Amino acid sequence: MTLLTEELKAFIGREAHYPAREELGRASIRYFALAMGDPNPLYVDDDYARKAGYPSVIAPPTLICETSQYAHQAPNADGYIGHEWHLPVPASRLIRAGNEYEFMRPVLPGDRISVTWTLEDIAERSSSRGGTQLFVTSAARYRDAEGKIVAINRETVVYQPLA
Amino acid sequence: MKPGDKLPPLEKTFTAVDLFAYGAATWDWHRMHYDAELARSKGFAGPVIDGQMYGAVFARAALEWAGRRGFIAKLSFRMKSMAFAGDTLVATGQVSELKGKTAILAQQLTKDGKVVAEATTEVRLPD
Repeated sequence: MTLLTEELKAFIGREAHYPAREELGRASIRYFALAMGDPNPLYVDDDYARKAGYPSVIAPPTLICETSQYAHQAPNADGYIGHEWHLPVPASRLIRAGNEYEFMRPVLPGDRISVTWTLEDIAERSSSRGGTQLFVTSAARYRDAEGKIVAINRETVVYQPLA
Repeated sequence: MKPGDKLPPLEKTFTAVDLFAYGAATWDWHRMHYDAELARSKGFAGPVIDGQMYGAVFARAALEWAGRRGFIAKLSFRMKSMAFAGDTLVATGQVSELKGKTAILAQQLTKDGKVVAEATTEVRLPD
């Protein structure tokens, strides 16, 4: 039985857009730095950041690609509130294969970031555990208030069918 | 600075508190990262460290080496094996290439010597 059905293939190319609901905010930046235990003062100290040539504190580089702050929906049964494609796949466990981040400029607390997800590819490959699994690659493009892309996150996740 | 130079190792224990705090800070409330019973029911040893945390660790290690005013232009990481709440990982890395003011780094996160994730990172060095 193939996992990559015609119904599933039809999802390739789909897009989902999440408008900015507020500025990223200083609290989000400091919260992330504290959670990661990252002591870089660029994330929490305006004076330090200005002396380094920035207009204010900046976000840790990967924050924008890691946060689901764009989301505005109730959590699903697993507690997740971020973007989902709701793909028609058999009961599976989902694991991350990898991410490719690309950054155009530092993100500032006042940035209003909208996110557009695109489903770029679905591939079925054999699994070392036997059978096959699905590799799903999506790209999130993060844009500022002027519509300029500030970061791209290309993410591949694996659906491993439950035995 | 030359190809082959090593980054200072960065060791981090991913406690249950760290996993919870990171999930909260990134608006990710997925139970897999704090609900040990659910994680075990899916066949995992315990709450799963969110692979995206590794991105943040790779970025931090790269900037602590390059200088805080460095700019990460690209960071690509791949998962090699899983790690769970309580595990201690070590981030290591070396310079693979220098192109003017840009360094390409090869980075690794290991647990007891086993690779958990690896990254290719492009950093623009500060002036």
